[in-house]
This record gives sequence, structure tokens and C-alpha cells, in this order.
Amino acid sequence: MVIHPVLMIAVPLLAAFLTPLLKRVAKQFTFAILVLNSIFSVLLLAKVYNDGMVYETIAGFSPPIGIYLAVDSLSALLAFVINVFATINFITSDGDHRFSMLYLLAVTGSTGIVLTGDIFNMFVFFEITAVASYALVAAKRDRGAIEGAIKYMILGSVGSVFILMGIAIIYSQLKSLNIYDIASRISSMDTKMMWISFSLLLTGIGVEAEIFPLNGWVPDAYEGAKSNIASFLSFGPSKAAIYAIARLLMVVFPYNNAYEIALYVGVATLVVGEIAAMMQENTKRMLAYSSIGQMGLILIAFSLASQHFEYALLAAFFLVVSHASAKSALFLLSKSDGMPGVVGKYTGVVAVLSIIGMPPFAGFWGKWYLLLGAAGQKLWFVIILVFFSGIVEAVYFARYLNRNYGRKGKLPISYKYAMVILATLSLIFGLITLLNSMAMQNMLGGV
Amino acid sequence: MWAEYFTVAALISIGLYGVMSKKNLMKIFIALSLMETGVNLMLITVGYVPGGTAPIENGNFAKYVDPLPQALVLTAIVIGVSVTALALTMLIWYHSKTGTLEYRRGMKW
Repeated sequence: MVIHPVLMIAVPLLAAFLTPLLKRVAKQFTFAILVLNSIFSVLLLAKVYNDGMVYETIAGFSPPIGIYLAVDSLSALLAFVINVFATINFITSDGDHRFSMLYLLAVTGSTGIVLTGDIFNMFVFFEITAVASYALVAAKRDRGAIEGAIKYMILGSVGSVFILMGIAIIYSQLKSLNIYDIASRISSMDTKMMWISFSLLLTGIGVEAEIFPLNGWVPDAYEGAKSNIASFLSFGPSKAAIYAIARLLMVVFPYNNAYEIALYVGVATLVVGEIAAMMQENTKRMLAYSSIGQMGLILIAFSLASQHFEYALLAAFFLVVSHASAKSALFLLSKSDGMPGVVGKYTGVVAVLSIIGMPPFAGFWGKWYLLLGAAGQKLWFVIILVFFSGIVEAVYFARYLNRNYGRKGKLPISYKYAMVILATLSLIFGLITLLNSMAMQNMLGGV
Repeated sequence: MWAEYFTVAALISIGLYGVMSKKNLMKIFIALSLMETGVNLMLITVGYVPGGTAPIENGNFAKYVDPLPQALVLTAIVIGVSVTALALTMLIWYHSKTGTLEYRRGMKW
């Protein structure tokens, strides 16, 4: 069967603008589109696994002049994670067609960031994701939501200006926007200009990727947004953005200095996020800061790719899956004050164990491969920091469980379904790896 | 060329200063628009060829400016307009909730 990755962008984009016409059945229609997209992403993953990288030329112009999509195995995995988790998370929708539209747009944008092979298209998809996310955060329309959304919007807009400046500098030097074309000629670029454009792109994308010190919007936006939107933000836009940084590092700027910058930024993000989470009393803000810490871990994992490619990608993949499943389950759970019923307790405990990194959950494998990669490069301070951050996480999540475990609250049944599926996914990913770790290594080895 | 790049630097710096120092949301959004205009001018300047004409194929043109940055700027302008429209909508909501345009949330841990 022929698979066109462009359909994963085109279909939900078209569908997003059809939802206002289908007010009554907007939820069912959107859900069907998301399921279709998830099926596409599975097929795409199978194709990339069998045949290697998939390129798709758009509008018949061959690259580097034309625009194309370039899907490697990591981007296929990320597209899979974003679309499947978005589908599960959408179960919690209350049926508002405006929510459906913005949600589809945000999913389209995140998928586009991951799949595109053109640096300007990446910027456009960033803007689609960002504008939809600003509106989603503000959807609750109370004071906290609007303040969070405005803060997100100001930082996000400044970030997008920085991305555009970086693109303009690269274009002025190389007259090209194609990522692989830029990568093949990056050494002919003026060194100063290259580093300026790298810093501008890292700064701009870093706002969405929640890296320190560009993440001032994160706690406010997550606290203000509805629970299911906070849960979407934790696996959609942020994961796509961190993948964009990884692609810049591994494809466009494969220099040791760039990896080192990413490593130190990741370490700073990890330390600040975890310490802030430990001092936090409000549950949603604590989860938001914990997210920042996890993004730091993922960035550290990617920055190890200069020498230990497989370990770095495996670590990043498992950290992404663990964070996407467990943290979004916890955000959904944060709709109620406690952990209602068996479902709430099960979700809370499984998700917390996965984030802390207990075997056999997905989070354990993330930290395991991260430690293997760091040990291979003799980065002892990273190893110490990862252990230290695990202890800090255990401290504040133990406090969280202690406070919420006995409390009863109310949760809509749709939230319970989504939470159980998400929490179980983090367990399933971990168990599959336990049984067959070689399959995962083969899968990512061919990047 | 230097005059253009000077204008670009001035617009972006003024915009960045405005975003960082102002409390009034309207002023912050104006500063954001200034930054976007600066970057758009930067893209146009990058693609400019001295003495070039508009890149429209009519058979007898010899020297023309790079058409790609102009297409990029067109996209960037549309994005900028949509972001500004959303920003002003949120400004109205903010004003109706708080009765002021001053943003005093600041950094809160």
C-alpha cells in the first residue's frame, strides 16, 4: 500500500475547517479523523521500519527547490506518539465544536513540525500549533486562563520572531530552506553566522520546548488551562518542539559545541524544573514544573547523540513515551481534587512510578538508556544529576500521592477511560521492552 | 544595504525593549508587531539584488530580486495578522475580567 505522509497533515487541516459546519456531530467527526490519522501514523511507522527514510515531494517540484517531507524513524515514532495520544486524549472532549477545531489544528501543526523537511515549513507549523494552543489555553475564559494564555502568547510570538531571524540568516548565506540541503553545505557557511543562526533557532524553538530560561509561561498556562488541554500541551507541541531541536542538532548542526550547548541547557532545565516542582504546593503547577524537568532530561538524552547514537535515541524515545503517557494521565487526574475510585488510584500510582523511573515502566528504560549513554561518554555529573533528580521526583510525587490518595473527587467517565488507557500504555511500552529490547534497538538503529 | 540592516536592527531592538519593559498589554502587542515588521524587512533585504526588478517573468528581464523571500514574507505577514487578531481578542477578554490593560502577573513561582 502506498502511504503519503502528507495526508497526515492535509486531512486534519481540512477537517479542522469543516468542524464548525458540523456542530452536532463535530466530536464524532473529529474523533474519526484522529483515528484515521493514527492509522496513517502506524502505517507510516511500518513503512519507515521496512524501507528506511520516506521522502514525499509536494506539488511536483523536486528538492532542494521544492518543498518536501522527510520522515526518518524517529519522526515517524514521534508522529505516532502525538497522533495516538491525541486521539486518546480527545475522548475527554465535551463536544464543543470550537474545541474540536482548535484541537485538530494543534495536532496538525505538531505532526507537521515532526514530518517536514523544510525549515520554513517548520516555522509555519510552529505558528499553527502555537496559535491554536494559545486559544486552547484561553478556552476556560476565567482570569487565570487568560493570563496564562497571554503570557504564553507574548513569549511564543517573541520566539517565532527569533526562529524567523535564524531562518533569514541561514537563507542569506546558503540560499536554501531544505534541511538536508542546508546540512550538506553548512560547513561553507560563515562560522559566526552559523552560530548566530543556531542560537536564534534554539532560542525560538526553546520557548515551545519549555527549556530553561524560556519556560516562564509553562506553569501559568498549564495551571490556567483545562485539564485535558494541559494534558495535550504536555505531549503535543512540547514534544514536537523538542524533536525540532533534536533534528537541528543531529542533522543541521552536527558539531560538538552544539551538542555541548544542548547538554548544558538540558542540565539547567532539569535542575530548575525539579527544584521548582519540589517547592510547589499547587498540584497543576507542580506537574508543570515536573514537565519542565522531564523536557530537560529529554534534551540531555538528545545531546548524547554525538557519540552514542542508539542509546541517545532510545533514551529520548522512552522518556518521550513515558512523559507523554504518564504526565498527561496525571493532568487529566488533576481535574478532580483527589484520586476517585480504583481508576484514579491505579492511574495515579502507575503514572507516578513511570515518571520516577521504576522498572518495568517506560520511564525506567528512558533513564536506563540515558545512564548507559552518559556512562559511555564518562559524563559523571550527568549520571549524578539523573539519580539526584530521581530522588527529588520521588520526594515530591510521594508527597503528591500522600496528599491525594485517600481523597475522593469526581471525574467524568470519559476522563477515566482516557486515564486508564494512557497509564496502561506506559506499562505496556515498558513490558514490551523488557521482553524484547532488541526489537526497539533495531527499530531506532536505522535512523 | 546598511541603511536597511540598520532599520532592521532598530525595529527588532525597539520591539524587544517594548516587550520586556512595558506593562500595558496594548503596548506589548504593538512592540511585537514592530519586531515582526523588522524581521519581514530583514527577509526582504536578504533577497534584494541592487538594481533588480520585480520577479515577474515577461520575457525581457535580466536582473531580478530573489522571489523566495517575498513569498516567505507574505506568509509571515499573514501569520502576524492572525496572531495580532487573537492577541487583541484576548486583550478584550482580559479587560472585561480585570478592568485594566496592565499586566502585573510577572514571574510567579
